[in-house]
Amino acid sequence: MILNEDQIRQLTEKILKRSKADSAVVHISKTDDANLRFANNDITSNAARKLLSLSITSNFGTRSASVQWNQTDDSSLKDAVARSEQMARLAPENPEFMPPLEAQTYASPATFSAASAASGPSELAAWIQPAIDATRAAKVSGAGFLNRKISVNAIANSAGLFAYQPSTTVDFSITARSKAGNGSGWSSCQYTDSHNLSLKPTAQTAVSKALDSRDPAAMDAGKYPVVLEASAARNLIGLLMWSLNQRSSDEKRSFLSSLSKENPIGQNLFGNNATLYSDPTYKAAPGSIFSHDGLANKKTDWIKDGTLKNLFSSRYWAKKQNIQATPYASNVIMPGENHSLEQLIKKVDRGVLITRVWYLRMVQPQSLLYTGLTRDGTFLIENGKISKPINNFRFNESPATLLKRIIASGSPERVLGSEGSMPMHIPPLLVDDFHFSSVSDAV
Amino acid sequence: MKRRKFLHQAALTGTAALTCQTSLLQQGQTATNPSPLSTAFPALADAVLNQAEKLGAGFSEFRIGKTTSESLHARESAVRSVDYSEDTGCCVRVLVDGAWGFAASHEINEQEALRLTHTAIAIAREQQGKRLEAVSLEKLTAWKDKWQMPMEIDPFSISLDDKAALLLDINQRALAAGANFCRSGLMQVKEEKWLANSVGSRIEQSRVRIRPYFSVTVIDSKKGGFSNRDSLAAPRGSGYEYVRDYDFKGEVVQAVEEAKEKMAAPGVKSGPKDLVIHPTNLWLTIHESIGHPTELDRAMGYEANFAGTSFVKPELLGKLKYASDLVTVRADRTQKNGLSTTAYDDDGVKTEGQEFNIIDKGLFTNYQMALGQAAMIGKEHSNGCAYADSFSTFPLQRMPNISLQPGEDDSITAEKLIADVEDGIYIVGSGSWSIDQQRYNFQFTGQTFHKIKNGKLDGMYKDVAYQGNSIEFWNSCDGLGGASTYELGGAFNCGKGRPMQSAPVSHGAVPSRFRQVNVLNTQEEGGAKA
Repeated sequence: MILNEDQIRQLTEKILKRSKADSAVVHISKTDDANLRFANNDITSNAARKLLSLSITSNFGTRSASVQWNQTDDSSLKDAVARSEQMARLAPENPEFMPPLEAQTYASPATFSAASAASGPSELAAWIQPAIDATRAAKVSGAGFLNRKISVNAIANSAGLFAYQPSTTVDFSITARSKAGNGSGWSSCQYTDSHNLSLKPTAQTAVSKALDSRDPAAMDAGKYPVVLEASAARNLIGLLMWSLNQRSSDEKRSFLSSLSKENPIGQNLFGNNATLYSDPTYKAAPGSIFSHDGLANKKTDWIKDGTLKNLFSSRYWAKKQNIQATPYASNVIMPGENHSLEQLIKKVDRGVLITRVWYLRMVQPQSLLYTGLTRDGTFLIENGKISKPINNFRFNESPATLLKRIIASGSPERVLGSEGSMPMHIPPLLVDDFHFSSVSDAV
Repeated sequence: MKRRKFLHQAALTGTAALTCQTSLLQQGQTATNPSPLSTAFPALADAVLNQAEKLGAGFSEFRIGKTTSESLHARESAVRSVDYSEDTGCCVRVLVDGAWGFAASHEINEQEALRLTHTAIAIAREQQGKRLEAVSLEKLTAWKDKWQMPMEIDPFSISLDDKAALLLDINQRALAAGANFCRSGLMQVKEEKWLANSVGSRIEQSRVRIRPYFSVTVIDSKKGGFSNRDSLAAPRGSGYEYVRDYDFKGEVVQAVEEAKEKMAAPGVKSGPKDLVIHPTNLWLTIHESIGHPTELDRAMGYEANFAGTSFVKPELLGKLKYASDLVTVRADRTQKNGLSTTAYDDDGVKTEGQEFNIIDKGLFTNYQMALGQAAMIGKEHSNGCAYADSFSTFPLQRMPNISLQPGEDDSITAEKLIADVEDGIYIVGSGSWSIDQQRYNFQFTGQTFHKIKNGKLDGMYKDVAYQGNSIEFWNSCDGLGGASTYELGGAFNCGKGRPMQSAPVSHGAVPSRFRQVNVLNTQEEGGAKA
């Protein structure tokens, strides 16, 4: 049972009322989580979890400390507040301290579905069964994860700020592997609303990819045009988003320094068909309406037609530089050109279709070079058609320069990435000269 | 009273004062005054296990977990955050007619524990009639024990002031040595667990881990560009004595000098080279290319959707020539200062006596296992490798401390290994890491890359990565340092499972030599000319 706005407000007031600090900030997160894992076409774990996180940050002058706890009894609350105050008094002065924000105006959240919130943990086994039936029927081995979360997040502070956001999500991903281990396919979906939920189509996509990818042909590493399916594209774009940092740029230790000697904002650095923005109210992939420090998340252009429009900037750095503070993205949207996946493939004479990318890690921050691998469905495209499955590759690529090489894009989709769960609505991308560094023997 | 002295006293009296209050969670534990969780545990466990048995569970388990964390993070002259957290709760795991059910809550009382029992049983029963195979467990031994990790200084007893002073001193020294930026931090975790199961075990455990770090950055304001060098200090399953005894003052100055030298160094020429790899880098290669591939759940397909499967198929057990004859790799959850060290795993298996070789003189000899997996490869029982990262998570097979054993000749040092290299690189410190989902193809960078020419170090390279195939790489090993060169590396946060669980693990290693490994120039990889 999640807490409603009145209950959360009462709880934050109760905590703040106990504070003796010069100022204080309270965060609350409560989650009712049900999750189910399966592998080899059987459920391997099935769990229901009730989780809570309460935290208070106490400030004395510019000294500050935070305590997080998860018990609601009065004594634990009293101890936590006292501990945070004791620690804050002992903490050094923080020259970058910023006082709590006053009340802000927030957008209406678009992250909650009553149907999802009404679902119980025992429903997951029923939701998953058609997906497992699909892998059993195809005589492939299915493994996956289904997670239904109902949560509330809130912030309140001693300056009068209060924000509350309920959310529901259903995440599902599935890997199908041929019994001989010579083919593998993956697919995923993410929903706010579980009404009329059907996981079977997602499972069938993974099954098809597993069967079609059997006995991959050998292909050399090198530079090829690639079609990145939406999940692969979202992973690479997500890496770029986390690096759009004003302070790093100003301090000349950002990849942006390699693209521009001057202020990069306002410069066309990424190619004319690259546009990325955030909008917490965007219904197809809604985000949080407030940031961790209580700033309102608003519609924010990051890159528009290749031109850098904004960078994340903390309140401290914004004040120092006399610019506007800009919270990190809580969702990312890339408007596509609405080509179908088949139309993107049709544009390629000889290239590679990538279903999923994996184990992306920074290699060189100076150029935002990342390494990673393809997996679970890598195919050769010849003369505008998928011709055969091929081996997987390791790639070394920079998402910054990748955005300059977009030839065309499809329709945005809300799918999961390999890591990270920020809502993103990203299209499949056709990108030129993607650098495969070596072959991976993994299937 | 001087401020620091006051802080020490405040920390000490704070602990004493808290024990007099009625909060269930924040009271200190002493020999004469056990934690309220210890006091509450037996009755709750009995209630849950009795209820689970009545409701038809073939096996049941009740666990209370409390994780206490403190962290400080600083950059330049500012301590940017001081955080403390306590995450406490309980869970019930049941096996009903061959299906698992699991439920967890942050609330700890009898009513909630019984609700969890009902929920876990109900969601296990949802699987009835739908399973292909029933989960079956091996026979578990019942243990009644209390274990506390030995340490000299509890890091939670050290004042914030001392810790903040350490970080600001590191940063100040870095800036004084010519760094443009320095960030540093100290993270410490205390993990307390109470486990009861229907076999009859009642186990109480407590352990601590600590992670100091810093990273310096130098900027080339004339040419543009920048260079980083991270501390080589590894996280440890240790008390504060590890931080007290570590030479941060010396290392941070060295780090700044090395960051400058790296920035001015020539880029490496791509191609095969001999590598001598220091333990501060090799621990991560061991983790990725030996640790993960030899997890039995991966090999059997249980992690196929996320972490992946493994090239180490069960039919290769006892047959795969994983490495050269020099290489023995041992798994050990009793190792001193190991991040995975504990007396009992989270299935209730005693770890002492379960130490095993994964690779014995080059031959693959055993997998890591958790409860219910041993029969898949014809073994009788697991080898104590289960871990759950929170009261709210299902125990998974996770890595024990997995370490490369030293060579037989203790006179062999890194210098002696280098002396037998004509054209190569000596790699120190861990950097970027990535490996495919079956653990064949890896790519690693490092912190510093020292050029080896005709058996001697000769300046540095920059922009270096090494790439290879796990089996080819380990079979190319032709030199190991002796026991005196052994060092323990590790990480707080090895990720696996869904929901993602984060496990601490250590890996010991000695300086080791590998022949003709593929070296890349990362500038060229990004499209630039070297």
